[in-house]
Amino acid sequence: MKKSLKLISLLLTLVMVLSLGACGGQKDPTTGSSAAPQGSTAAPQGSTSSGSQLAGTYDIKVWCPENAVSWTKEQIDSFNKSNTDGIVINATVEAVGEGDAATSMITDVEAGGDLFFFAQDQTARLIEAGALAKLGKAAAANVLENNEETSVIAVKSGDELYAYPLTSDNGFFMYYDKSVIPEADLGSMEKLLEDCEKAGKYFSFDVKNGWYVASFFFATGCSSEWEYDDNGKAIACRDNWNSANGLIAAKGLKAFVSSKAYNNSSSGADFAAATPSAIVVTGTWDYNTIKDILGDNLGAAELPSFTVDGKSYHLGSYTGCKLLGVKPQTDAVKQAVLHRLAQFLTNEECETKLFEQLGWGPANLAAREKASSPALTAFDAQKKYGTPQGQISGGWWDIAKAIATNVENATDEKGLQDALDIYKEALAGIIDMPEDEATAMTVIGAIAGTNWDTDFEMTQKPEGTWYTTEPIELKKGDEFKVRMGKSWDVNFGADNKVNGPNVVVEEDGWYFIKVVVNAGLTEGVISLEKNSPSTGWTVIGAIAGANWDKDFDMELQADGTYKSVDAFDLEAGAEFKVRQGQNWDNSWGNGTDNFKVETAGKFYVVFNPTTTEVSLSAE
Amino acid sequence: MADLKKLSEKTPENELKKHIGLKASRTIGNTLIYILLIIMTVIWLTPFVCIVLQSFRCESTYIVGYVIPQQWGLDNYKALFQTDFPIWYRNTLITALCVSVLQTVIVLCMSYTLSRFRFKLRKPLMKFMLVLGLFPGMLTMIILYRVLKDLGLTQANAVPGLILVYIASSGMGYYISKGFFDTLPKSLDEAARIDGATRAQVLTKIILPLAKPIVIYTILTAFMGPFGDFVFARYISMNTSKGMNVAVGLWSWLTPDQVQYKYTMFCAGGVLVAIPVTILFLCLQKYYVEGVTGGAVKG
Repeated sequence: MKKSLKLISLLLTLVMVLSLGACGGQKDPTTGSSAAPQGSTAAPQGSTSSGSQLAGTYDIKVWCPENAVSWTKEQIDSFNKSNTDGIVINATVEAVGEGDAATSMITDVEAGGDLFFFAQDQTARLIEAGALAKLGKAAAANVLENNEETSVIAVKSGDELYAYPLTSDNGFFMYYDKSVIPEADLGSMEKLLEDCEKAGKYFSFDVKNGWYVASFFFATGCSSEWEYDDNGKAIACRDNWNSANGLIAAKGLKAFVSSKAYNNSSSGADFAAATPSAIVVTGTWDYNTIKDILGDNLGAAELPSFTVDGKSYHLGSYTGCKLLGVKPQTDAVKQAVLHRLAQFLTNEECETKLFEQLGWGPANLAAREKASSPALTAFDAQKKYGTPQGQISGGWWDIAKAIATNVENATDEKGLQDALDIYKEALAGIIDMPEDEATAMTVIGAIAGTNWDTDFEMTQKPEGTWYTTEPIELKKGDEFKVRMGKSWDVNFGADNKVNGPNVVVEEDGWYFIKVVVNAGLTEGVISLEKNSPSTGWTVIGAIAGANWDKDFDMELQADGTYKSVDAFDLEAGAEFKVRQGQNWDNSWGNGTDNFKVETAGKFYVVFNPTTTEVSLSAE
Repeated sequence: MADLKKLSEKTPENELKKHIGLKASRTIGNTLIYILLIIMTVIWLTPFVCIVLQSFRCESTYIVGYVIPQQWGLDNYKALFQTDFPIWYRNTLITALCVSVLQTVIVLCMSYTLSRFRFKLRKPLMKFMLVLGLFPGMLTMIILYRVLKDLGLTQANAVPGLILVYIASSGMGYYISKGFFDTLPKSLDEAARIDGATRAQVLTKIILPLAKPIVIYTILTAFMGPFGDFVFARYISMNTSKGMNVAVGLWSWLTPDQVQYKYTMFCAGGVLVAIPVTILFLCLQKYYVEGVTGGAVKG
């Protein structure tokens, strides 16, 4: 027994010593540091920060795509030589594709690159995981000044900027084989498909991918936009793919995937496949490969239009950026240095070199002007029909990629509609919109300083009757509509019918907007009210013959205050209060006490909800 | 008796045999079998042949629609050595060799102990390991990553970390070799013990020489596991090129923006990876089969 105890303790000691040794052997500076803080870290002061404080040698790790490794190393060398602050960067550059950066970063933020390249679609995920450091004011101003809006949208969440735009060429357009496709046919998808079928070649377009399939929906004017708070959390999705326009898009998509020439791929090498493609929809990154395959036959152009029921729709696209992110650091000085380096790497000179070496289209405006290639020209042509790719929730990609499969399997128009219904339903699942929110009515319009971008909440009382929760100040000529679940699927306008014209306000004033919706959601009677039973105010007390048992109506006035509809004969000493929604939770008199009338007379009761002050006003 | 009866019956098969003779029918049978085997071999080998051919293609680096290169050469192999491939290869070999040695020692000791020794916890221990073995190893991935990271054995130091992971639970893989040891007569041990051999001597001098096939089988499986592993290797190297093994490193070339430039190199890498394994198997083939079946015969 004693022997075995000895043996066990010996073994344990050995294990401890070994593990200590393992710790001592570690050299990687990033793994040793304690957990990186989530989200907010001391932000740098941009290029104006004093140099002497930053002087020193910094070991950093950079994650960039394999083909950009040499560019990155060169530019960091040149940063070391050119900076006047005594900063020496000792960089380890690892090849990590932009497409994987987010997945790898999120798995273990501590082990991730201090600077890393990533594609725009990952921004939301990265911010949420606390893997991106916010830009300081000066750095943000610099980004705003030197980049066009599409690039800025890519790095923005709420009002904060989270990364540096590196390229602005992340979008798709069409490469074609000039020996097969006559230039005259370029504008029409039908003719292109015909040409491809005739030549026995493919039209490669990876529509079973949310990014590419959006092309059809943008063509018919659909949109899909996500709303985020400052911490990168998705709070709403405005998406109308499941609509009349969406159905047109689905028809166009159906026509495309039904063609013999359709090939579900978007890779430049498709031009050299066993059955070669004559057209491939892809982006600037494939230019060198395609040039190699097609040589002088390479053509690049904007996407074509498709025709449904005699009307033609130009295919849209996502346009976006590749970005350079800075990982939040525990060491504020290192953080500042990293931001300095990131600014350097995204300046005009560096991005110009990036274009010269790899053909990546610069995001920096000055560098962009200098850059020119057939691919970038086609990208810019398509950009007119493009939709800047804002932050998109990670789950959306899987939902959107199912559309094409469902459309392909559909046999009739109902099948196409089903495909859109499935999409909508899945979408409702990820945005986590509770049932009551999805069925709640809201008011939206060009009212109270908003421009069709803000939904005003409504409260239901009783069933089917909705009043805006707060009174709204409306001006003559203001237009608005009432809709359900913050989407346009069910909306009511002036003629009380679904999809009716906007309601136009006839007179200035404060109003509650009221809508009475029937059970089938086919009719919604809209009116402007001076009070609401659920959140409006009433007078109650021992007045006018009542004894705290009757609510007297009040009406909204031009200044936003409430005034009783009738004047009351009040005796000295009479008591009353003003209460909201006929409920004592929110009631006011003299402060929270009852209001006591001091001198008898005939008065109106006036209540100001902003100051919660009750007063009497003579006729 | 029954067989004789069958032959004398007039079944169509027997009729045929009578007409064409035994030799001819055997030839036909063999021909059919060989045709079948050839078809299967072609199906089996096509991907490998394609990879080998692609690795010698020099005119382009992306995926193309034909198999025979238009321009032959060793460019891809040369280019391979300009990248981190040699580091990955070295990592893989070190890991696989260390694991094969350590794991073999552990497994053999374990099997010997459980086969020859009788101690109180023997049965409970075996049952415990059986139950433990029912849990999928992947379950432990995240916690293992955490532990290794705290020990500093991830990323650039992934190789020792990986070795640790692979050998950590190897004792549980004792079944086949214990089964084989059980078939060796116990009287051999007893004779050796009477002649003054220690337990360790019995293992090294008596049992192991008799159990050669199983030893080689253990070495082979221990080598193959880490050599082809991807999942753990990818997590533990965590995008650090210096810590990757070949599988992870080559995979990193398959991203959409890389594959156009690296596809033929990827094939060349695949060929180089296959070489040591192929040699190993060719040399040790006969032991391998003996080993796989050997443990199944219970004494």
